[in-house]
Amino acid sequence: MLELMLLSLGLSATGAVLSLLLMRAPAAAKTAACTLGMGAAAASLASGVAAIGSPALLANLGGPVPFADLTVLFNPLSGLLVAVISVLALVAWLFGLSYFNEYYDKGIGTLGCFMNLFVASMMMVILCDNAFWFLVFFELMSLTSYMLVIVEGDEKSFKGGFLYLVMAHIGFLMIAVSFFLMASACGSLEFAAFRATAFDPALATAAFALAFFGFGAKAGIVPFHSWLPQAHPAAPSNVSALMSGGMIKIGVFGIMKVCFDLLALSGGQLGWGVLVVVIGAVSSVLGVVYALGEHDLKSLLAYHSVENIGIILLGVGTGIVGWACGNLWLAGVGLAAGLYHLVNHAMFKGLLFLGAGSVLHATGTRNMEALGGLARLMPVTAVCFLAGSLAISAIPPLNGFVSEWFTYQALIGAAMAGGIGLRVVFAFAVVALAITGALAVTCFVKAFGVTFLGKPRSDAAKAAHEVPASMRLGMVALTALCAALGLGAAWFAPVMSGIAASVLAAPAMPVAAGTALVSLDTISVTSPLLIAVLLAVVVGACALARNAANRAHGLKVDPEPWACGYAPDVHMETLASTVAAGVRGFMGPLYGIREGVNSAGAAVAGVFGRAFEAGACGQGAAPAPPSREQRVRVPLSESVMSVLRSVGAWFSRLEGGDFRTYIVYIVGALVFFLALIILVR
Amino acid sequence: MIEFTVAVIQVLLLVLLAPLASGVARKIRAKMHTRQGTSIFQDYYDLAKLWRRCEVQPGGAGLVSRAMPPVFLGTMVIVAAGLPLIARACPVPLLGDVITVLYLMALPRFMFSLAALDSAGSYTAVGGVRELLLGVLVEPALILTLMVLALACGSTNLGVMADSVASLVAYPPVAVVVAGVAFACACYVEMGKLPFDVAEAEQELQEGPLAEFSGPSLAMLKLGMSVKQLVVASLFVAVFLPFGAASVATPLGLAVGLALFVAKLAAVLLVAAVIENAVMRVRYQFLGRYTWFVFGLAALSFVFLVIGI
Repeated sequence: MLELMLLSLGLSATGAVLSLLLMRAPAAAKTAACTLGMGAAAASLASGVAAIGSPALLANLGGPVPFADLTVLFNPLSGLLVAVISVLALVAWLFGLSYFNEYYDKGIGTLGCFMNLFVASMMMVILCDNAFWFLVFFELMSLTSYMLVIVEGDEKSFKGGFLYLVMAHIGFLMIAVSFFLMASACGSLEFAAFRATAFDPALATAAFALAFFGFGAKAGIVPFHSWLPQAHPAAPSNVSALMSGGMIKIGVFGIMKVCFDLLALSGGQLGWGVLVVVIGAVSSVLGVVYALGEHDLKSLLAYHSVENIGIILLGVGTGIVGWACGNLWLAGVGLAAGLYHLVNHAMFKGLLFLGAGSVLHATGTRNMEALGGLARLMPVTAVCFLAGSLAISAIPPLNGFVSEWFTYQALIGAAMAGGIGLRVVFAFAVVALAITGALAVTCFVKAFGVTFLGKPRSDAAKAAHEVPASMRLGMVALTALCAALGLGAAWFAPVMSGIAASVLAAPAMPVAAGTALVSLDTISVTSPLLIAVLLAVVVGACALARNAANRAHGLKVDPEPWACGYAPDVHMETLASTVAAGVRGFMGPLYGIREGVNSAGAAVAGVFGRAFEAGACGQGAAPAPPSREQRVRVPLSESVMSVLRSVGAWFSRLEGGDFRTYIVYIVGALVFFLALIILVR
Repeated sequence: MIEFTVAVIQVLLLVLLAPLASGVARKIRAKMHTRQGTSIFQDYYDLAKLWRRCEVQPGGAGLVSRAMPPVFLGTMVIVAAGLPLIARACPVPLLGDVITVLYLMALPRFMFSLAALDSAGSYTAVGGVRELLLGVLVEPALILTLMVLALACGSTNLGVMADSVASLVAYPPVAVVVAGVAFACACYVEMGKLPFDVAEAEQELQEGPLAEFSGPSLAMLKLGMSVKQLVVASLFVAVFLPFGAASVATPLGLAVGLALFVAKLAAVLLVAAVIENAVMRVRYQFLGRYTWFVFGLAALSFVFLVIGI
């Protein structure tokens, strides 16, 4: 394990250096960076897979700093993260072999260098077992990814990148304070010492809360999400895949590591789990609601990462609640559901970003309004993107369904086991997940339908062509993994349960029997494999019957759709905005929150930006990134006011006599008073 | 083996009765309009006629439009096979999980709306988008009521739920009854009958998403949509009105269960048909008001569950 990982790091470093040295010969730099990167990813994949199945291994690598040795820890959880990121890196490099051709004049040498360093620093963050080195590599990860975000060198990428840099450092600060709190209490920077100390409950809670929000800023939880849709789309698409599929998972990994590992002896507290579940539920709903409003394909996908991080946190939070209550089934299944969704999201989000990259490569635009009709011109990309859309919408039998199924079972199981308060929290989470599911279906019908179906709406879309073989291969590989993680769930779920068990230091919960997935506490079973077989047989039979009827009675093609007697026109087609308008009509208040949060984020970045400008620091010193309405430099006071205004507007609707809000209000009041009665009694 | 037979019987029953059910609904509408109306078998004739027609595909459409009618019907068939309709236990327990059923039903919705965008026609697409929005509005209420029932019965398996409701051990009872009412309302919305037929909306959208389908594909789609209505109504009957379904799988018990199931389903559909013809269409912008009401009911059932009455 360790040797393979060192080999991988060595290859990454060589790739970085070679790519930089060959800067003058773009093709050679690209080939060197990509092939060495692929070699590194293959080695780290082998290392990660080995770690999943082995007992924990702690190795001290010494190091130049006298006060902190570079210790690395291989355990099943870090093995899983290493394996997931390695798969994504492997595919991203493969995709890059053709995709990076566009970057010859944008500094391919530095791009290859930073991407290699980025992957290596992610590996080290996962493996590091010392607070000092953890923070060093975490910072390196943020900086290298920032360099990748601004590689396009245009105004938009600088603004997105700067917001990202500010957010990453706010997160870094919170994590650092959390680690130093623990370090000062136990007198060592080694994680092993943290692990062996039972912290004071108040200190443990403070450390957990700081780490949760700090890592949450990296993961993109609401309210720290505003950098994702601006920074991820600006990077090259395979880097976006790596960031959205891989890097933000390190935030989730950090939350799990702090809670279950570093604070293991301090014991989990119920409140932590509730906090994680509530933030997860809010993130999942708001993420998908905002995704629906996007017309930029990559921004849409970035917002979906906020949603999926929320779903992962629902599972993890349920695990924390189960752990705190001593409910082994809940802890094991909740955590396993979170881990499974973590893996799944990496796969389908990576796939979708590569698909978006292919669209960008073929047409030169990410604006869905100007696309359309690509399924005909780029069939492989279209089929892969459709598979990814079905998977992320949690439609059986693909992988998204499996992890959401376990998440639902864990949430319902938690509501069954818990008291009144927990029941309310978990009912909220279940409803949030239901809304998220239905909205995700809407959003991906929009994303796939508007981009790939209908007729081309611009010359660029008309001139699209299928992408080169290495890019197709990358997408097909991830599609196959999505299918395998769905159909083979009965074999993968026990692995996740085993990893969850190792994290909790508890016996593994049975989650599968034969080809079926089992949920013990809610007495239920399901089987994606059976559903897939039945779908293939029944749908196949229906299709054969229909085609036989077509052969017997004829099949004609009418070139134009029916337009109520008028000549069809390309302007009659449904656009992304058409879909979004409907949802906005029903969910207006939720968009109001975003305006507030975005402008607050912009204001924070603006404050830093001015400080930066004063220090006259190069290209990064862009002014505050604008929110949707191009509001540049909103003063802090005004942004706070706009949050207050939107909340106020919502409340004023209670008085305004809107019949829907009255019902919610009445039910809310009812719940409150009943809870009060029970508590008093 | 007997489970397999039950599953096949359920599928055949729902698929074969679906056109009859829609034919009867048409007849009831005609009678309420004081018209003579068509034969109750008219839908069978329509389907047979469409099946023998030449199919015209819109030019922009591709694989998605081609695949949608078989996917729609096929998925409904699979859902029908898993529900505990004539016995209290699920004939195929692996298909009997609440979450599995609801997410499996998202597949036809996904394909249906996608096919609407596929043909590049503006009428079809508007219908498809409305279908999705309706799903967004009703799904939370559906899942919340089913969660209340799952908590009351201790399982998310439909068969276990049906068994504990039928043997009156689901606790607390008031919560279950209120959840039943909320679920009935949500199912009614999900069936896409007036005033919730926004996707087709004959007056505005000329049968919306179906506009570009013809011939055998249209026949399969129409059959699929009728089957969907029956499946949704059956889901309600299976979980909240399981009384009379066979508790042990003996031939006699199953026969009684079958007869009672048909009677219960007919009663539910009759009520739905009467409601459908007694109300007017609603502009789809105002749908939220009705679905909020349904969600309010679902939330109320949850409150009753929490306080245990």
